[in-house]
Amino acid sequence: MSQQIIFKNLEDMPYMSISLGSMEWNKTGTWRYLRPRFENKISPCIEGCPVGQDIERAMVLLGKSKYLEAWELFKEENPLVGVCGRVCFHPCESACNRGEFDEPVSINALERFMADTATKQGWRVKKRVEEGEAKKKVAVVGSGPSGLTCAYHLARLGYEVTIYEALPVLGGMLRVGIPEYRLPKKVLEDEIDQILELGVKVEMNCRLGGDLSWKDLQKYEAIYLAMGNQKSKKLDIPGEDLPGVMGGLDFLRDISLGKKISMGKRVAIIGGGNTAIDAARSALRLGAKPIILYRRTQEEMPAWASEVKEAEEEGVEISYLVSPVRIWGENGKVNRLECVKNRLGPPDEDGRRRPMEIKGSNFSIEVDQVIRAIGEEAELQGLPKNLGVKEGLILIDERGGTKLKKVFAGGDITAQPRTVAHAIGAGKRAAIFIDCFLKNKKWEGLIDDLRLGEKGSLSMRRYRQEEKDREPVSNKTVRLRDLNLDYFTFQKRSKMPKLKVQQRIGSFAEVNLGFTQDTAISEALRCFNCGVCNLCDNCYIFCPDVAIRKDVQTGQNIIDYDYCKGCGICVAECPRHALVMEEEGR
Amino acid sequence: MIEEKELMYSGHLACAGCGATLAMRYALKALGENTILILPACCWSIIGGAFPYAAVKVPMIHTAFETGASTASGVKAGLEIRGDTETTVAAWVGDGGTFDIGIQALSGAAERNDDIIYFCYDNEAYMNTGIQRSSATPWGTWTTTTPVNHPKGQPKKNIMEIMAAHRIPYAATCSVAFPEDMIAKIRKAKTMRGTKFIHIFSPCPTGWRAPSSLAIKIARLAVHTKVFPLYEVEYGVKYNINLDPKNLPVDEYLRLQGRFAHLTDDEVHTIQETVDREWARLIKKALD
Amino acid sequence: MKKIMVGNHAVSWGVMLARAEVISAYPITPQTTIVEELSVLCADGRLNAKFIPVESEHSAMACCIGAAATGVRTFTATSSQGLALMHEMLHWASGARLPIVMANVSRALGSPFNIWGEQSDSLAQRDTGWLQIYCESNQEVLDTVIQAFKIAESVYLPVMLVLDAFILSHTAEPVDIPAQEEIDAFLPPYRPQWRLDPKDPRTFGCVATPEYFMEFRYKMHQAMLASKEVCRQVDEEFGRLLHRQYGLIEPYYCDDAEVILVTAGSVTSTARVAIEEMRKEGHKVGLLKLRLFRPFPKEEIKEVVKNAEKLAVLDRNLSAGVGGVFAQEMRAALANWRNHPLIYSYIAGLGGRDITLPAIKEVFHRTSELAQPPAESLWVGLRGKGVVHD
Repeated sequence: MSQQIIFKNLEDMPYMSISLGSMEWNKTGTWRYLRPRFENKISPCIEGCPVGQDIERAMVLLGKSKYLEAWELFKEENPLVGVCGRVCFHPCESACNRGEFDEPVSINALERFMADTATKQGWRVKKRVEEGEAKKKVAVVGSGPSGLTCAYHLARLGYEVTIYEALPVLGGMLRVGIPEYRLPKKVLEDEIDQILELGVKVEMNCRLGGDLSWKDLQKYEAIYLAMGNQKSKKLDIPGEDLPGVMGGLDFLRDISLGKKISMGKRVAIIGGGNTAIDAARSALRLGAKPIILYRRTQEEMPAWASEVKEAEEEGVEISYLVSPVRIWGENGKVNRLECVKNRLGPPDEDGRRRPMEIKGSNFSIEVDQVIRAIGEEAELQGLPKNLGVKEGLILIDERGGTKLKKVFAGGDITAQPRTVAHAIGAGKRAAIFIDCFLKNKKWEGLIDDLRLGEKGSLSMRRYRQEEKDREPVSNKTVRLRDLNLDYFTFQKRSKMPKLKVQQRIGSFAEVNLGFTQDTAISEALRCFNCGVCNLCDNCYIFCPDVAIRKDVQTGQNIIDYDYCKGCGICVAECPRHALVMEEEGR
Repeated sequence: MIEEKELMYSGHLACAGCGATLAMRYALKALGENTILILPACCWSIIGGAFPYAAVKVPMIHTAFETGASTASGVKAGLEIRGDTETTVAAWVGDGGTFDIGIQALSGAAERNDDIIYFCYDNEAYMNTGIQRSSATPWGTWTTTTPVNHPKGQPKKNIMEIMAAHRIPYAATCSVAFPEDMIAKIRKAKTMRGTKFIHIFSPCPTGWRAPSSLAIKIARLAVHTKVFPLYEVEYGVKYNINLDPKNLPVDEYLRLQGRFAHLTDDEVHTIQETVDREWARLIKKALD
Repeated sequence: MKKIMVGNHAVSWGVMLARAEVISAYPITPQTTIVEELSVLCADGRLNAKFIPVESEHSAMACCIGAAATGVRTFTATSSQGLALMHEMLHWASGARLPIVMANVSRALGSPFNIWGEQSDSLAQRDTGWLQIYCESNQEVLDTVIQAFKIAESVYLPVMLVLDAFILSHTAEPVDIPAQEEIDAFLPPYRPQWRLDPKDPRTFGCVATPEYFMEFRYKMHQAMLASKEVCRQVDEEFGRLLHRQYGLIEPYYCDDAEVILVTAGSVTSTARVAIEEMRKEGHKVGLLKLRLFRPFPKEEIKEVVKNAEKLAVLDRNLSAGVGGVFAQEMRAALANWRNHPLIYSYIAGLGGRDITLPAIKEVFHRTSELAQPPAESLWVGLRGKGVVHD
């Protein structure tokens, strides 16, 4: 670093004007009245993920072919990466800023790629706590995604966990509600095994209110209730009790447990959600000709558009604006379904237009089987009266805690969106607050610290204080308007390769085939890395004062405030809003 | 790839957000240590600091305003007679010293095809003396000598055409928003013998009345609105356009700068027409 | 080796012997044949130099500055309009302390255009920080070119030698040309303290604020003053080696002179004849040849004129409104000396008009006649105004 040079005498000066040192003594940072600062923010995918995943970081790792690190990162938050990579409704993709630019990043497919790679490589999730420590005991009721996740995190936080499951198989809806062509059993079982390898105990065929009583559970120091919604709602129309009429969940469960199904030839499936689609496509694979009857139009169908499209490709008929009014039978068997046509009236409380019967438009279709798939509800037997239940759902606070201090709940039995991802997020949240409860930690304000973005889910890594390298982090979510789009070029989203239709309808083989390595890397590199520095080096390149330099050890860019004049070019040219400009504190 | 070694010191006296310093920073990365810079009167005469300090890690000599090219020719001759044909001799001149007072010396050097690289960093006015108009100032611009009720009535001199007419081996336009393109072209110029001319679009937030943070954005928009296309000319006849502009309307570029704030819609329209016409001419030359 | 040579070629041959390395020049009458001859010498291989045929004199000096800064020996030549055009860069060269040597073929400055000899052009540059040496003969020209490089490179200041247009530049005289080895022994290669060098990167000519500028000027001025001694030593050394020596000034019959004529340039040789003839007639007259003009050799002049009553300064130049420049300089040099000789100022030979023998004699007579010097310069040979007008 050059010092200032002072000449006391003229004799000390050179005979001509020539430089004897550099200008580095001149700390131009004193000129500044605004100063830039690196600040990582929340990518919208992260805020939108109900599981609470650091999706942006995973994209960076995948882009660099660091598959193990990416997978381990995701496993820190969620034991069911392979599952989610297949069945999650991917709100991350809806939130993805790239969606407004060209097309969202295929985050869901990349999550699957991570899990598939782990399977291929034989990676297993690591334990966090060793054997031999005296551990407190926690019970988890229900082995669906919510229960499994809670058990997983509690085991890794150092608890002895026992899962109680009513069925003879683990997995809940994942196992018995989602057909194999969407979620192969192998994938689910492998991830469940990794949870059990952490020392989690399991009691199967134990239904709460049946073999398992509330009193049995009191020996545990904390309890997590995650029984889910296992009962298909009734249609409440005449003829519903005829043989040949069944609930969609029962239908799917029977298939997945390997029971013998007597499949009709022509099956009517009532409903418009994923269960209806799943039931229809399963029926197709079992040789029937399914027709879905939905009371509104395709626009209002809750089922995913991709599922609907695949169903139509496979030959599933869908009839819109139709409601069943009566099931007719002959000789004790279903033979006809009487329906009525609807028109859409004014909107419901949920914003969707109400279907209104068109009087006199009745018609019949010949069916020999009817499957109800109009929604699920909980079976809440065995719970104490003072637990707090409303409209068939357990009441919980923001931690997932119930009125009873040591009892927590989550998943479809509480009032939350009915998705696998939300269930997983609830399980994780419960594990965090059970840990707080059992360690007597103060939890007020913790939720805000752990929340990813103002509206996001909680981060286990933050709870474990393992996100240090990301600091400083603000909880502001970055939107497209915050980005400098001059640095991004259009690139179409990678397409998921699928089995051909002919191959699909003949079996329950998985329809989606997954990305190759090259596709995965190139898709991960489409990520804008909203709000997080990815060392693109724009700030370093465009600084007129050479005031942004690379830290030799970490490779990060640091601002040299001795020289920074506060021009703001770095902030303006950061493609991803990872820098902010603030008033210079004087 | 951009060379990591820095040949420009921090602590220089440029305004915050100065395009000319970025131009120098990139040029030095491309030229390397074995370079001598000739510096006639321009903003950089001040940016580099006063006696006894330097702001660059290469030898540099201050010279009078109009003598950028002639002093450079002299330096080159001196090196050659000493047996040094490898050291790059580069003149670093503003638009005033190139388009106006220095054009004679530049034309002389170009006609002799003296083996120098002549850099003109163009901030489109006499910025060092207080934002007075030069022949590089575009039509309709406010400057301190073309006030708002009488803005510049003449178009910007086309210095690239002038240099092409000299049939020098290489002339190229560069923008500080495209550093890799600029560095590649300077490296290319280094490999050639004879007179090479590099015209660098160098935004001046101070003189253009724009926020300092927008310096790069403005430089990028200038290219994408075709106001300042990126192209090369070899031997005055072979044109090569380096970047396909996004064809954005000139208004996106103009409205970021206070020096154009007084323009009416008609005047913006005139500018758009001129830009489109010049671009069409350039394309034709590139296709020949 | 003796050759019959015009003054301009004497310059060229001096430059060749001095092994100049970079030459940059622009043609102007009557300098042109200097550079033409140098082109021939370069083409023949007798001189290994880079020649830059620039597009104006301003660029010529800029080229010399650039080249000199890289540590090579540089040369240019010009005249009147070209010298005036270079003016800015003359200041630059001296401020940059670069030992450039320039031959100025002194010619009148327009308007109106006039290509013939007078010394207003070089004298108008007297404040630029260049040393100035006025030559009387072609031999002196060749010898002075060589001395000039040595002086310049010792003091880091540029040197201008002046030769009169046509009278010297285009007139042939016998010139003794030294051998290259003799000059090589006299004039070593140029090795400056600082030069533009990527191995030692520095900025040359950094802006000097009010904090430092005065010191640089002081140093320059001191260097210029000290260069007088250097000029003397170089001239003496040249005399030892090559048996020709010129001095800073040359007194001719000054010891007992009552009236001393002061001249510079080629008119000095005419004056010598005038002195001899007048001495034969018994007049106590003498001649002081001014050779070194910058720095102004005050002490040497004082020594020579200390016993004279009157000085008649013959100025082949004009500073309009004040008169002859040499007279002005003489007055300034002698003003603080209480009993200095009276100084009479004469303007003659402007625009190439001949200064004749009778005119010079008339100057002497007029000087003797007038008890006091007139306030303004007297003009020699104006149309209809007699030899020296009243």
